[in-house]
Amino acid sequence: MKIDMKRLAKLSKLKFSPEEEAKFQKEMENIVAMVEKLPDIDASGPLIDPDNPMKMRKDVPEKKFTRDELLKNAPEVQAGCIVVPKVVD
Amino acid sequence: MELYKLQASELSQMLQNKECSSVELTKSVLGRIDAKEDQIKAYLSVDKEGALQKAQEVDDRRLKGEDLHPLAGIPIGVKDNICLKGMPATCASRMLENFVPPYNATVIEKLNQTDCVYLGKLNMDEFAMGSSTENSAFQKTRNPYNTDYVPGGSSGGSAAAVAAGEAVVTLGSDTGGSIRQPAAYCGVVGLKPTYGSVSRYGLVAFASSLDQIGPMGRSVKDLALTYSAICGKDPMDTTTVSREYPDFTKNLKSDVKSLKIGLPKEYFAEGVTADVKEAVMKVAKEYEKLGATLVEVSLPSTDYALSAYYIIASAEASSNLARFDGVKYGYRSPNYANLEELYENTRSEGFGDEVKRRIMLGTYVLSSGYYDAYYKKAKFTQQLIQQQYADAFTQCDLLLTPTTPDTAFKIGENVSDPIKMYMNDLLTVMINIAGLPAISMPCGFDQKKMPIGCQLIGSKFSEQTLFDTANCYEQLVGGFDLSATLQ
Repeated sequence: MKIDMKRLAKLSKLKFSPEEEAKFQKEMENIVAMVEKLPDIDASGPLIDPDNPMKMRKDVPEKKFTRDELLKNAPEVQAGCIVVPKVVD
Repeated sequence: MELYKLQASELSQMLQNKECSSVELTKSVLGRIDAKEDQIKAYLSVDKEGALQKAQEVDDRRLKGEDLHPLAGIPIGVKDNICLKGMPATCASRMLENFVPPYNATVIEKLNQTDCVYLGKLNMDEFAMGSSTENSAFQKTRNPYNTDYVPGGSSGGSAAAVAAGEAVVTLGSDTGGSIRQPAAYCGVVGLKPTYGSVSRYGLVAFASSLDQIGPMGRSVKDLALTYSAICGKDPMDTTTVSREYPDFTKNLKSDVKSLKIGLPKEYFAEGVTADVKEAVMKVAKEYEKLGATLVEVSLPSTDYALSAYYIIASAEASSNLARFDGVKYGYRSPNYANLEELYENTRSEGFGDEVKRRIMLGTYVLSSGYYDAYYKKAKFTQQLIQQQYADAFTQCDLLLTPTTPDTAFKIGENVSDPIKMYMNDLLTVMINIAGLPAISMPCGFDQKKMPIGCQLIGSKFSEQTLFDTANCYEQLVGGFDLSATLQ
């Protein structure tokens, strides 16, 4: 299976040099060939686990963190806000 | 006797009888870390001050006559993908190199109630993706049995620390074998609990339908003790199951009479070395001598397990790791002109090669036109595998298999061949796919003098049977011999 590395990298939000791209291309083709080994089964039914229904907790806000605590890990902060590049022109 | 060599259950008794203090014990283990870390490199961070402070607090409370948990004052190491408030949680990735979680994982909140002592955070494959701990962005952990060899992975730091006496017990996480395989490679015991029995809140997500946190230690009793402390329903993880979780140490038996042990023939097939097969069959024969019945069973879908596993795990990983975009936390590339470049450069510079491969595989199998052929088919294969295990458990109480096809390999041996590396997971991934519990315990050595591990697999929530059966073997052999690595 030939893999379109440019498209795959774009979808994965990754960027490669030409040398890296060649290396990953080969590796990804081998890996995809490995995972293709699946049984010939009808895969048209629904995928649910009726034995273990999950129960959502109530959507009630709790005061767990202060703003400062949460912003401590942000890469760039100004006036209590996270700084990002300009998104809208 | 050096305190760092002892097991949690023994130390717990000694602490209660005031034969030693938690400060003495913690100092002994910290001293061991000082002596061994240059060679082993199991820890990414060690919190000496915090550990000694907690140990002192526990000693003071004990002196006042407080009734304390058996784990009180016992030094524990934690895999670096589990959030411990105020300590770095790097996941061995550049992406989270400076990340300090502002909260505790639920397993840590639960362990806090036991008053155990945290030693530090343990090395792993980046984001738990790997089978040798060589994918850590920071250091290569070495196998305490022979430092030329890998400790296994991804919980390689957790396994090596326990084997080398650098922790009494540790927490690891297991998505496709990441507790059991390193336990086997380092000659220690590890439990991958039933899916839904331990909360993953605060565990950095890899593949959410497969991830479980579990304990690693030098005895089955220590696993039972730690597992009893961390399991249970948690409103913060909807997959956790509400049921009665007993104290698994209370009724720990060492009796296998009338137990039916299944030997799945596919697990002893080609690719499993003669040394490994022989060692596991020897365990089977011992159980038979003690009154268990051996039955041959078949799990015909074993051939498809690795494919299904890598599709499901990578698909979920690509989605889970989409959050690492350089915006709210973690690494941010300094080189960007717009938002798209910020994302791409951050991810390309922050992730290692194996993580990139898994993200791309996951993206590929979920991409338009391929979803039905790969992801959906893998999910149906998962149901098939679950059904085959359910069928097997109508014929026997539990299964006995090798944990890995071979023993530990040399550092660097498999790094250039991702597929060869993936083959290490051949015998462990099925258990995650089926959501079952399994213990890996040591059962001898191969010709390279490296430890062999065997795996006991049970039906969902059969942890007690697994502890009893493993404990029976441990008692028979007079305890797992780690004298070589604890010296």
